[in-house]
Amino acid sequence: MHSSVLLPKRRRRHANPRWIIGVVVIVFAAIYVFPLLWDLATSLRPNDDIYRYPPTLLPGSLTLENYVYVLTQMQGFLRYLANSIVVTLATVLIVLVSSAMGGYAFGMRRFRGQNLLFLAIILVLTIPYIMYLIPIYMMEDRLHLKDTWLGLILPYVALNLPWGLLIMRGAFSTIPLDIRDAAVIDGCGEIRMWWRILVPIARPALAASTIITFVFAWQEFLFASTLMPRNSWQTLPVGIVWMRDELQTVVMGRIGAMIVISIIPVLVLFLALRDFFIKGLSEGMLKG
Amino acid sequence: MRPHLRDRLSLLFFLAPALAFVLVFIAFPIAFSGYLSLTKYNYAIDKAPTFIGLVGYFRTVVSDGFFHTALFNQLEFAAAYVVITFVVSLAVAIMINELRHGVHFLQALFYLPMIVPLSLVGITFAWILDPNFGIFNTLLHALGLQTRPFDWFGDPTTAIFAIVVAQSWKMIGFALIIFIAGLQGISSELREAARMDGASFFQETTRVVLPLLRPYLLVGSIWILIDSLKVFDIPRVVTKGGPGVSTLTLYLYSWRLAFQRLEMGRASQVAYLTAAIILLLSWGLNRLFRPEVAQRA
Repeated sequence: MHSSVLLPKRRRRHANPRWIIGVVVIVFAAIYVFPLLWDLATSLRPNDDIYRYPPTLLPGSLTLENYVYVLTQMQGFLRYLANSIVVTLATVLIVLVSSAMGGYAFGMRRFRGQNLLFLAIILVLTIPYIMYLIPIYMMEDRLHLKDTWLGLILPYVALNLPWGLLIMRGAFSTIPLDIRDAAVIDGCGEIRMWWRILVPIARPALAASTIITFVFAWQEFLFASTLMPRNSWQTLPVGIVWMRDELQTVVMGRIGAMIVISIIPVLVLFLALRDFFIKGLSEGMLKG
Repeated sequence: MRPHLRDRLSLLFFLAPALAFVLVFIAFPIAFSGYLSLTKYNYAIDKAPTFIGLVGYFRTVVSDGFFHTALFNQLEFAAAYVVITFVVSLAVAIMINELRHGVHFLQALFYLPMIVPLSLVGITFAWILDPNFGIFNTLLHALGLQTRPFDWFGDPTTAIFAIVVAQSWKMIGFALIIFIAGLQGISSELREAARMDGASFFQETTRVVLPLLRPYLLVGSIWILIDSLKVFDIPRVVTKGGPGVSTLTLYLYSWRLAFQRLEMGRASQVAYLTAAIILLLSWGLNRLFRPEVAQRA
């Protein structure tokens, strides 16, 4: 075979791009993570080192005083942190329960208008949020839900539910119907069967829904800034911005520390559940 | 009859929570803002909306200068944003796909910005690009590319592109997920065959990989486009729509009409028009990536 004669030559030609590509990717990745590293670096520098002219790339000295200050002296920040945690956890919990229920109905039951209804729910993912923000604002204004945790949790559940349903339906539709039928024959009620048998099987999908909902709820800005006009109810993405604009005493080192602290919870979850996040999102985006 | 009824009830039980949320917080609001868009309604002054039909739309489209500005800025933003995000994430996906080592680590680095709230991305980039203490101008100066510090977010010509870069930085991870999923689905035999026939890496990419990737390119570009029309957080936080009106986008304009001037009717018109633009452009992209079009090229 003449190909065996030609092969070494070709190999050499193609060995070239791979290491070039490697170098390009690594350089670009370094530039890419720079903004995050720069937040971290800023948060670790003392004030006079940050506001030096001209600015320097390498810190003159490192300190944790920004973190200490933010965590002990800034009641507002701790309040935002608490608001974010409560709102996000409640949203995740409600999305999980209602999408596990709905996902079962869409994935394992048959009923009229099923596909049309599901398609309508998924289309929501592409509709501009601002279209429903205006009526929701008026509704919450009448019901005195503005500036309450519940007032943010309820719309967040609705916004994240389509993702949850998409993922959970996918998971339930792969479970063989025999499992359900066997349980029913054994005299197991449908709700018990769902909770005891099906939900445990769908655990990977629950993990995906958890991380996706958590990430989205944790960083939401538009609804949070509109439905929580009072400062003490704001969540981290809104509150940190407010502090930066309104409080002259809050310098960039402290802002940096607040940004780093507010990323840590979601970073931990992301590192733990990364594969579920990527898989859930790619399934969702490719179907959507 | 009884088992049948029980079956219905249990189905309703499972569907109820999801349907309730979608009906109350999505379906009803969309219908209601559709109605509002046909009215004149100042939330602070008027007791109830006054129905004016399509007159409001007509006024907004024909004679609202701010709407024209917002639309123009929006399209400028969308064009730059879609191109940059698309090209960069596709290039990164193709390059990472070639590597054998450190693939997961590198992917994780590019996914990382996805978890950073967009408003904080804005603050971060505003800090890096700060005209006085920002590191970016210093680096440009050190490289000899610039003599005086430049205010990237504060200049009417560059502000919108600074926003493009900042938001793109976050969105690239999402697009990367789609493209990498597509690349992993391409059989290595096919690429091997192309290489055997003497194709260079560039030829192999443009002639074999990209055509096979077309469905993913379509999905990716539609998601990027949808995201581009939602641009709100960074202009709201960093540039406040300025300088002047140079970064006033459709979302921001609609938001201001609704929550600063309380003109709910006009705000809903802008929101509906934004949705219409998303539909129209998605349809355009769909045509652009249709198989027969690409085959002719």
